[in-house]
Amino acid sequence: MTLDTGHQITMYRQMVRIREFEERVKRTFTDHPGVIRGHTHLADGAEASIVGSIAAMRPGDQAIATYRCHGYPIALGSDTSALMAEIYGRVGGICGGYGGSMHLADIARGFLGTSAIVAQNIPQGAGAAYAAQLRGRGDVVLTFFGDGATKQGAFHESLNVAALWRLPVVFIMENNSFSVTVRTEEEDANAAAGEPLATKAKAYSMPGTTIDGGDPLVVQQTVADAVARARAGDGPTLIESLVYRLSAHGNSIAPPGVPLHYPEHEAVAIYGAVEEYEAAKRGDPVPRFRARLIESGVLTGDQAGAIVDEAQAEMQAAVDFALNSPLPEPAAALNHVYA
Amino acid sequence: MTRELPYVAAMNEALHLEMTRDEDVLLIGQTVGEEHYESFKEFGSARVRVTPISETAEIGMATGAALAGKRPVVDATMAEFLLVAMGQVVNEANRVHYMTGGQLRAPIVIKAGYGFAAGWAGQHTSAPYGMVMGVPGLKVALPSTPADAKGLMATAVRDDNPVLYLHHFLLLLERGPVPEGEYLVPFGVADIKRPGSDVTVVATGWTVHRALAAAERLSDEGIDVEVIDPRTIAPLDVETILASVARTGRLVLVDQATRHASVSAVIAGEVAEHGLSSLRAPVVQVTALDTTLAYSQPMEEYVLPDEGKIAAAVRQVAGVKAGAM
Amino acid sequence: MWRIRAFEERLAQLKRADEVPGLIHLSIGGEAVAAAVCGQLRDTDVVYSGHRPHGHVIAKGAALPETMAELMGRAGGLCQGLGGSMHLVDTEHGMFGATGVVGGSLPLALGSALAARMRGEDAVAVVFFGDGAAQSGIFAESVNIAVLWRLPVILVCENNGFAEFTPRSAHTTVERVSDLVAPWAIPAATVDGNDAEAIWAQFGEMLRRARDGGGPALLEALTHRLRGHYEGDPDRYREALSSEEWQRRDPIARLQSAALARGWFGEDEAKTASDDAASTVDEAVAWARQSPPPTPELASSVVYAA
Repeated sequence: MTLDTGHQITMYRQMVRIREFEERVKRTFTDHPGVIRGHTHLADGAEASIVGSIAAMRPGDQAIATYRCHGYPIALGSDTSALMAEIYGRVGGICGGYGGSMHLADIARGFLGTSAIVAQNIPQGAGAAYAAQLRGRGDVVLTFFGDGATKQGAFHESLNVAALWRLPVVFIMENNSFSVTVRTEEEDANAAAGEPLATKAKAYSMPGTTIDGGDPLVVQQTVADAVARARAGDGPTLIESLVYRLSAHGNSIAPPGVPLHYPEHEAVAIYGAVEEYEAAKRGDPVPRFRARLIESGVLTGDQAGAIVDEAQAEMQAAVDFALNSPLPEPAAALNHVYA
Repeated sequence: MTRELPYVAAMNEALHLEMTRDEDVLLIGQTVGEEHYESFKEFGSARVRVTPISETAEIGMATGAALAGKRPVVDATMAEFLLVAMGQVVNEANRVHYMTGGQLRAPIVIKAGYGFAAGWAGQHTSAPYGMVMGVPGLKVALPSTPADAKGLMATAVRDDNPVLYLHHFLLLLERGPVPEGEYLVPFGVADIKRPGSDVTVVATGWTVHRALAAAERLSDEGIDVEVIDPRTIAPLDVETILASVARTGRLVLVDQATRHASVSAVIAGEVAEHGLSSLRAPVVQVTALDTTLAYSQPMEEYVLPDEGKIAAAVRQVAGVKAGAM
Repeated sequence: MWRIRAFEERLAQLKRADEVPGLIHLSIGGEAVAAAVCGQLRDTDVVYSGHRPHGHVIAKGAALPETMAELMGRAGGLCQGLGGSMHLVDTEHGMFGATGVVGGSLPLALGSALAARMRGEDAVAVVFFGDGAAQSGIFAESVNIAVLWRLPVILVCENNGFAEFTPRSAHTTVERVSDLVAPWAIPAATVDGNDAEAIWAQFGEMLRRARDGGGPALLEALTHRLRGHYEGDPDRYREALSSEEWQRRDPIARLQSAALARGWFGEDEAKTASDDAASTVDEAVAWARQSPPPTPELASSVVYAA
């Protein structure tokens, strides 16, 4: 299947929107110190994987993810102003300021939320797929997680059940080579043996495949095939999407009063792998896809520039909205304890 | 000799000293290769071992190594990550000694931070010790000062039982006097952080400092507050609390945990049973409200105990005239 | 094997007579695995088990009187009556524990293996678990670490085809537990759990490799649980084996006829072994009956290690 040029331009636009959004989140730490509290995790570097995956969805399908979650709702069409306001802890936030960066959700657009605990969303994704199976409309659930999550028991238990019950779920592992700050080959027996992490699918009689997560068209094609398989009732697939996150795991960790910032990437800060990190930046999927679209005549340089300008304007508006949205009433803290 | 150290440095100093003293002490966990453990590199990668994100296996494995004679310390990073491995924490390590008629012992320390009430939202800010303080066989330490952080860590490592050592994220950079060299703080012995004669306030962890600040403010109003820090909540030094209440007749319990899963509720029960005749006013609990912590600051602050809420509670109990009950 | 069989058959009688409290899971029919695995281990090798541990404990060398006394909840029991059937421990013989929670002891065995290697010893840890435990997350977490760190641990799965009350097909699409370690390049084999010789040979190879620093391995033994999940289980979810079929499969009868055919021992010696087992169990029961119940104060005296 080849996507028509309109789709390719849409995918590029979504990638740029995610990148610009993340840039503004990062800049907030210097432009507006103290506005973002706690911990944020950025998706820069994974835009192609996110957008390619989401492009394989149709209305009725759902997605569930981890605490590195800003990209998915953007690609699904959530309002970036409401997303930014959530990260700023404002009333106008998509979760009213209750959740913050790690707990975005937009049920109307099929984004079922996240867990801030590694791998705990994987069984939840399988459960959502069970519900989809019961609904019987052919809906599929995309479950996103990182390479580190595959060492959690929840991964093993969930993939076993999903295979057994032939659940309509696609497990998308974004392998960014680091489990928080530890290199994957230091904590994963497959990686240590030089094997792809998709090898793990063998234990569940499930297809497992490893792809270049920096190419949105490859991702879209692979996920679409897995989605088709799931829709047809043939069960789950494990996709290992190789990405390289361009920012550190998250912002600095400090008690209140200490200004927060984004530290240097772990590859450089901990492992001293300067060249590896520079190479990753040279392989940045956003300019890579732009160059390809321009080369193949899908976009002109001017059009590509206009897409960036629009995204920047959108994110400026999101920041403005978020800054102007009031903080919640303190006593609202007691709402929503029970449904 | 003492000198000023941050809480985190005091905690690590104790661990470092214990690892130097006893080569059976191990340090494992997902983050033990990070910068804050730089000084532990000298013990080698066999004793300081980075693990995958597998809490159940990490803690279970530490238990197995302990049964085989080692004394592992597991850095589980965050208290909430333990919930993933709860079976290993409350149904394996803590029970082996008992179920085997005393044959086995599982001297492990599970170290984790808690209470990061600085916008870390619903899954990284809780004070979940209420869930484990009543679990038989498990000891639970909650240091509030750098000196206690050091002394309780050393004692935890030397204890022959599983110990949950919960350090408070908001206190990591707080400085205070810390004794040099070997320093042990016994378990089950509360510390009177501030003596006083009018009202007893019991607090743990970060709330100890909120209570001390409230006590300073109240001394200007002529109310003399005694602040007690149990330091370990299992075992819990009920005696010191009862003795204090016998002198003051008034008790305020402060706790960052949600009210119905708090140390406060347990202490209130003990005092109701064993110290009722000493009380000249009803006990007041200043705890977190029974809700998940919201991300946004105004809501977060609304739910948690603070200096003002503690002071108001103390005024309330102090204002009740003798014989009013 | 006769000792285990005689012990458990007697245990079933005692359970019916209400002399043994609590939940009892029998391993009758699975004796070959316990005997062929534990028979090759030293006291310094550590064994962990699950909730069906009697055979492993006996094969590892625990004294029958103390084992029986534990099951009867007496003060003279291996654990002074505090543990019971699912928590039999005899550290002197390297029997380090059983657990009532499926899969609960898998990482403990890794820890013991790690400790042995750090001490520079060639001791090996063995953990017995059922096929039901292989679907729990703790299994995958443990295998990843065992492989990553090349730990001297051998995972022995007694696959009786049922996880508690439901057949394996209701739990997983993966037919063989040995296939569950397919993602990792470690030795894995499935053997007939009623064939003591086959188990001995296959396990022996894995044991030598683990002792020599070759890392972990997984042995799956296909067994048939002759009894229900627990003693007293109405057992309506399984088809009974015909008695002829069982005669053909019974691991003790098989080993005995093979041994007789090869002249390892004669009919008389076989009979003596069986009779000795019965009388040893009689003595164990008599000893256990004389052991007093524990004093109630014990219940709160060992909560913490002093």
